[in-house]
Amino acid sequence: MKEKKLQNCGKCGLCLNACPVYKILKEEQVSPRAKLHLIKAHDQNTIASSAFLKEIISKCLMCGSCSAVCPSGIDHYSKFMEMRRKMGEAHGEAPAIKSLIYLLAREYRTGFGAGLARTGQKLVPAGLAKKFKLGNIPIKNFPELNPVPFRKAHDEVIFPKGKPAGRVIYFTGCATNYLYEDTGDAVIGILTHMGYEVVIPKTQTCCSIPLLFHGAKDRAMENITANIKALRDIEAEAVLVDCSTCGEALKNEYPRLFEPHDEHLVAAQDIALRVTDIISFINLHFDLLQFDPDITGKIPVTYHAPCHTRNTFSSHLTVEKILQAMPSVDYRQTPDSDQCCGGGGTFFYEYPEVSKKMVDKKIESAKAVEVSHWLTDCPVCRMNLAGNTEKKDGLTVLHPVTLIHAALKQI
Amino acid sequence: MLNTEVKTELIQIVGAAGYLDRPEELACYSYDAFVEEALPDAVIFPKTTDEVSKILKTAGRYKIPVTGRGAGTSVCGAPIPVRHGIVLCFSKMDKIIEVNTRDRYIIVQPGVVNADIQKALSPFGFFYPPDPGSMNSSTIGGNIAQNAGGPRCLKYGVTVDYVLGLEVVLASGDIIRFGSKNIKDVTGYKLSSLFSGSEGTLGIITEAILKVLPKPEAVKTLMVTFDDLDNTARAVTDIIGSGILPAAMELMDQLTLNAIEDSANLGLDRNAQGALLIEIDGVKEACDKEMKKIIEKLKENGAVHIQEAGSDIERDKLWTARRSAYGVFAKLAPDIVSEDVTVPVSKVPEMIRRIIEITERYGLRVGVLAHAGDGNMHPMIPADKGNIEEWQRVEKAFSEIFKAAADLDGTLSGEHGIGLAKSAYLPLVMNQSTINFMKKIKHAIDPDGILNPGKFV
Repeated sequence: MKEKKLQNCGKCGLCLNACPVYKILKEEQVSPRAKLHLIKAHDQNTIASSAFLKEIISKCLMCGSCSAVCPSGIDHYSKFMEMRRKMGEAHGEAPAIKSLIYLLAREYRTGFGAGLARTGQKLVPAGLAKKFKLGNIPIKNFPELNPVPFRKAHDEVIFPKGKPAGRVIYFTGCATNYLYEDTGDAVIGILTHMGYEVVIPKTQTCCSIPLLFHGAKDRAMENITANIKALRDIEAEAVLVDCSTCGEALKNEYPRLFEPHDEHLVAAQDIALRVTDIISFINLHFDLLQFDPDITGKIPVTYHAPCHTRNTFSSHLTVEKILQAMPSVDYRQTPDSDQCCGGGGTFFYEYPEVSKKMVDKKIESAKAVEVSHWLTDCPVCRMNLAGNTEKKDGLTVLHPVTLIHAALKQI
Repeated sequence: MLNTEVKTELIQIVGAAGYLDRPEELACYSYDAFVEEALPDAVIFPKTTDEVSKILKTAGRYKIPVTGRGAGTSVCGAPIPVRHGIVLCFSKMDKIIEVNTRDRYIIVQPGVVNADIQKALSPFGFFYPPDPGSMNSSTIGGNIAQNAGGPRCLKYGVTVDYVLGLEVVLASGDIIRFGSKNIKDVTGYKLSSLFSGSEGTLGIITEAILKVLPKPEAVKTLMVTFDDLDNTARAVTDIIGSGILPAAMELMDQLTLNAIEDSANLGLDRNAQGALLIEIDGVKEACDKEMKKIIEKLKENGAVHIQEAGSDIERDKLWTARRSAYGVFAKLAPDIVSEDVTVPVSKVPEMIRRIIEITERYGLRVGVLAHAGDGNMHPMIPADKGNIEEWQRVEKAFSEIFKAAADLDGTLSGEHGIGLAKSAYLPLVMNQSTINFMKKIKHAIDPDGILNPGKFV
């Protein structure tokens, strides 16, 4: 990674109240400002590398909320990722995290999910599930794997219905591919309804954000170059993601990973320019949606805004706008809809006590507005919210596209 | 690190989870938003007044320094433990105890964040006026200890004007309570004034009763540009002199204005030499009347462009632009120093001229930003602390700026406090007898000097 001469942190402390982890723990050492201080101290050899230092550094959701409020414009992401890499190398990862890195790194070459899916297993291999309590989420609440991985189940090119509007690439991400095919089906349904031809490149693979966050940069690079190759040569007006974290990777991280003269840099920058999240895209072409006039009644719905949706695409307000504009939805906002749920990649696994406090607060406020559906456009948030709600809470957690798709007129 | 005996005793008071002393942790309590650093020997998180009292008794017995800390957003080094010892961190003692808008007060623990007080009051149509720039993170204990201000303090006054009563633990461990829930209370010494701005040197605040106000029914906001910085400053003195008291009057020079325009793109005139952001609030009819008079005064002083915010969104946009100024300057160099010298409002034009003259002489860039209505200047100098020669020029320039403020009957700090940053300059604005008087008060309450030693007293 290119080490840029960056602004010094002025330690103003504005990041404290933006940081979801600080807000729960209220201890300076977990704050973004403290992490920068420790990274600097480690670089200057005044703080030694230790397993405890690794623990502090990884007590972070990588949500980007600190950078979003930082008046000095500090790039926390790059600094934290580089430090995570160093700490991972020096002190190793927990066995479960190691397995995850192994699986995601091999995703492109072996298609691990396909094999698992046929035997109807859950996301987490049985051995791991029995051995480790998976963070704050009871094992029984983890989603089932798709019967067939989404990309395998679909053609590479899907043609539009009605009047052609254009062509887009769909970067499905691992969650839609292996867990949440309902999201993928809705994305394709909406896009083809709007008149878009949808290209789902077969050679796309894990965006590799989980690998980068856990410092496995070398293993990530193989996936990343595979993705760039898969996306760069297809003519399309947009590269769409249904997961804002994949979007964050494609839009912000990929271009930062290459040296100025690297052959992949230009392609990465070109892809980054075309990346947008499905919600913003729907909003941009809202006039192409035809809602089914025969649907009567309104579904009571609330929304949880994922951190990367807020900080990378600022499309959380767009989701609310769309929901308010939909004839079949009664949108009820919670006062903390923009607060982090504590899912954060593998954070819910690594720091269950912190994560549990965060998600419980969210569930309380979702229950208070008395809705049947809780929408969120991040698969980890979905897993975390759904995994922590009880049956009696009566909350179905879905990606917003599923409800949008269900409200459309058949054409 | 503290010796085992003391450590054991302290852990018995707060529990193992409330006591930190690993090097990785201690490093994170060595700083605030000022440029100095010093390591504590231990960090303790009390949850109750009783615990604070016990901790101070133990610390007193072993003569261990105790420095209070909230969110560590002070810009003058107040919570930096320069004599090491214990950092007493109040971030977890953060309960709002009572909201009572009928009697116009709120009772809070010291770790409650200023913005959370606003959130708690908002549904009742009330607010707590002091609004320091750090209000989203800073805690009320720190706000009181530093007697914090903010833009709207022009009209509403600073923190001390809102402290009705306090509970304070003294160095001896004794718990004292003074003031009450009453807006009017002249029973005994006005001790809340003694502790507001005491910067943790006299006692540790463990609970506060604060006065709150109903939100004004109308707010009007103006952005005005001038082709001359002197005219800009004169417009401020003229408006204040005419008897109008706006809620806020923020002055920006050309450099600041352009920096804001670069980031916020408001369509401001980049050639303007000065700008004012003026806000008035109150009863609607009164606001209309005042607004007319303000516009008159602005025109008399050669205002080039006057723009009134037409909606809440436009108003937010203007304030966001104003608040972004610091950040924009922070990006011009690796580090930034912002001071808060204050002069009587009629001396604002002269003070601005002197700031510009001094910084030019030292070959430094300066952005002049001021809560001009109350004469509170915020000259911001972007520089590189790693460049020793440049940093010395910055220090010399500020030393001259402090002298210039004193010459103009001004003072060292309008809202940041003294801390480490300005201790050396106290004699500019106080005679030796006055400094001795403060020392006598300190010595009477804290004879062993365990509370925040190494600071201004």
